[in-house]
Amino acid sequence: MGLKGNAAIVGAAQYRPEKYATAPRMFHLEQVADLAGLALADAGLKASDIDGLVIHGPQFHEAQVFVPAMAAEYLGLSLNFAEVVDLGGCSSVAAVWRAAMAVEMGLCQAVLCVIPARMAPFGPDEDPSWMARAMRFGGHSTAFGAPEAEFDLPYGHMGQNTGYAMIAQRYAAKYGYDPVAMAKIAVDQRTNALANPDASFFGKPLSIEDVLASKMVAEPLRVLEIVMPVAGGAAVIVASKEVAARAKNRGACITGFGEHLSFKSPTYATEMTDTPIGPASERAFAMAGIKRSDIHAAQLYDCYTITVLLTLEDAGFAPKGEGMRWVREHDLTYKGNFPMNTHGGQLSFGQSGTAGGMSQVIEAFHQISGRAGERQLKRCDTVFVSGTGGVMSEQGALILQGA
Amino acid sequence: MSTNKPLPTATEISAPFWNGLKAGRLTIPQCKSCGHWIFFPRRHCDKCWSQDLEWKEVKGTGTLYTYTLTRIPTLPDFADEMPQKMAVVELDEGVRINTTLIGLDEGEVKVGMRVKPVFDTVKSDGTALLRFTAADKDFPSRIDSTPAALAAAAEAEAEPAAAKRQVRCDDEAAMKALVSDTFSPWSNQIVVDQALIDEFAKLSGDDYWIHTDPERARKQSPFGGTIAHGALVQVLQSRLRIPLDFEVVGFTNMVNYGSDRLRFPAPVPAGSRIHAHSRVKSVEKLPKGMQLTMEIVTHVVGSERPSVINDLVILYM
Repeated sequence: MGLKGNAAIVGAAQYRPEKYATAPRMFHLEQVADLAGLALADAGLKASDIDGLVIHGPQFHEAQVFVPAMAAEYLGLSLNFAEVVDLGGCSSVAAVWRAAMAVEMGLCQAVLCVIPARMAPFGPDEDPSWMARAMRFGGHSTAFGAPEAEFDLPYGHMGQNTGYAMIAQRYAAKYGYDPVAMAKIAVDQRTNALANPDASFFGKPLSIEDVLASKMVAEPLRVLEIVMPVAGGAAVIVASKEVAARAKNRGACITGFGEHLSFKSPTYATEMTDTPIGPASERAFAMAGIKRSDIHAAQLYDCYTITVLLTLEDAGFAPKGEGMRWVREHDLTYKGNFPMNTHGGQLSFGQSGTAGGMSQVIEAFHQISGRAGERQLKRCDTVFVSGTGGVMSEQGALILQGA
Repeated sequence: MSTNKPLPTATEISAPFWNGLKAGRLTIPQCKSCGHWIFFPRRHCDKCWSQDLEWKEVKGTGTLYTYTLTRIPTLPDFADEMPQKMAVVELDEGVRINTTLIGLDEGEVKVGMRVKPVFDTVKSDGTALLRFTAADKDFPSRIDSTPAALAAAAEAEAEPAAAKRQVRCDDEAAMKALVSDTFSPWSNQIVVDQALIDEFAKLSGDDYWIHTDPERARKQSPFGGTIAHGALVQVLQSRLRIPLDFEVVGFTNMVNYGSDRLRFPAPVPAGSRIHAHSRVKSVEKLPKGMQLTMEIVTHVVGSERPSVINDLVILYM
């Protein structure tokens, strides 16, 4: 069961992370076309090669429904497969394996996976109410009948910070907690960002002391353990072996994936410290037929330091309950013995909304295709990538291997 | 009473739960087929998918599954609860509930502690939320947190007025000795509700929708509801009695000379409670008399950012 590794990422593009206030305002359709063009140029392919589309659907500016058809029309493409993903921060990973599946089933030869994440210009009759609501309630629904509107919001449970903080607090009660190890995750990733001129925090070193002295947001999470939202957007092209053979770069073949979800609020998880990346990773490794130790780099979704810690444990890299000790014993930088989030992670690169997770996919591709600049690993043939949406609600895993 | 905190809207499915809370009882559905307890309420059992359910009253005791203390409010409207004691409680029946803890000091909160329910009325129509406190805590099982009740409670708890030192306004040295970097204790609290805001809008002619149209403000304002006029909050200083330990005497006339600085840094959402404190910022002897500048700072209760900063200049002649 599963993928045979006949589909590969062959091209990628992402906007440099920028502050929302100063980033260019572009229609989402315009961003889709622009990012697609950049990704095609990166691959050395032409627009007519694309015959599939996977796009992030929610909060698409120009349409709530019929997004793929509108995008195909705007782009001028004929598609044999069109798909919307709605998995929050897991959408990037989810888009890539859906594209790979379409290619391996013979539906498509090249699939564009794209997530626009710059703001669109506001029209004269724009109804700003959705934005006012989004600013107040984050990813929480306020709709009549939505369980979270009824049972979470009145108590102040909203957004992501407190949910992740409560997972961390339960972890602390079960297994113990080492704030220095948690800070080290952010610091090692910053070391990586110092070798990435595109990162938001390029040129800004960070120490353990800085993290521990930063403002407490929701105990035990401090502000430097939480991603900074930025404007951005990203696209990758997933192609068949035949198309990949004429692409410019070494392809990153998708040899394994997994996806898992069963709740929106982790309150309703069987056990909130055992996260969905566990079953998702298990499936991905089994599908690829490789061991944890075969991995040359891990690009782990990092909205918070606790997300990284639990992913290290539940994806099987560190023993359960011993992740903090494990982090202290490993060098997570691109020079280290467990290269992780070699672009800086979203904590140091910046989180461009739902496209943030694509930064991890693209870094894996850049490492495999040998284009990671100063932070390029000597050998990088096999990379593990994770995606996380909501409050550890929906998680996915990819195994990418050099062609 | 209006408030900008989100409130629950009961559905046909969940109404028995909310009606129970209003009456100080916790009722949740149980599956008649498999015995599974169900939370949040829904039409079916999320274990066996039977639709044969019945509402049952439970004691509400349980354990604290996890929690966090917030240092930044999850919404500005929750500033009066800081730090918010966000919690997940696992009832003895096995279901988990998102909630907040009440009546506990920060250090008393521990994962695994035993807890019991507190039915907290938050709206004048009786709407109540389910909070929890430590099982061994002597804390009432029903409380009233409507803004009016909270303001009245603060009034009742206020320190009795201390004996005031009298300072003669022409005693320059004594007057200058009043200057301090330290603020006074807090005043009484008052509720700035929509009725008050509407009256001020009528009086002042400033009826901009962000103050007066709750429906539009709920949908379109970044504050999620109406906010008071800055000028209204400023003049409400007259209703806030700040406990000062001195009294200036010996003048024939006292003139409000205006303000050296007036700022409205943070909004006051309709339904908020406000209070103020002050300090003497400067004292200057002028040919006309003694000029005292009082920095009066008004906050939404619990909010770090002030809503009004007023350097009020008073001339004693």
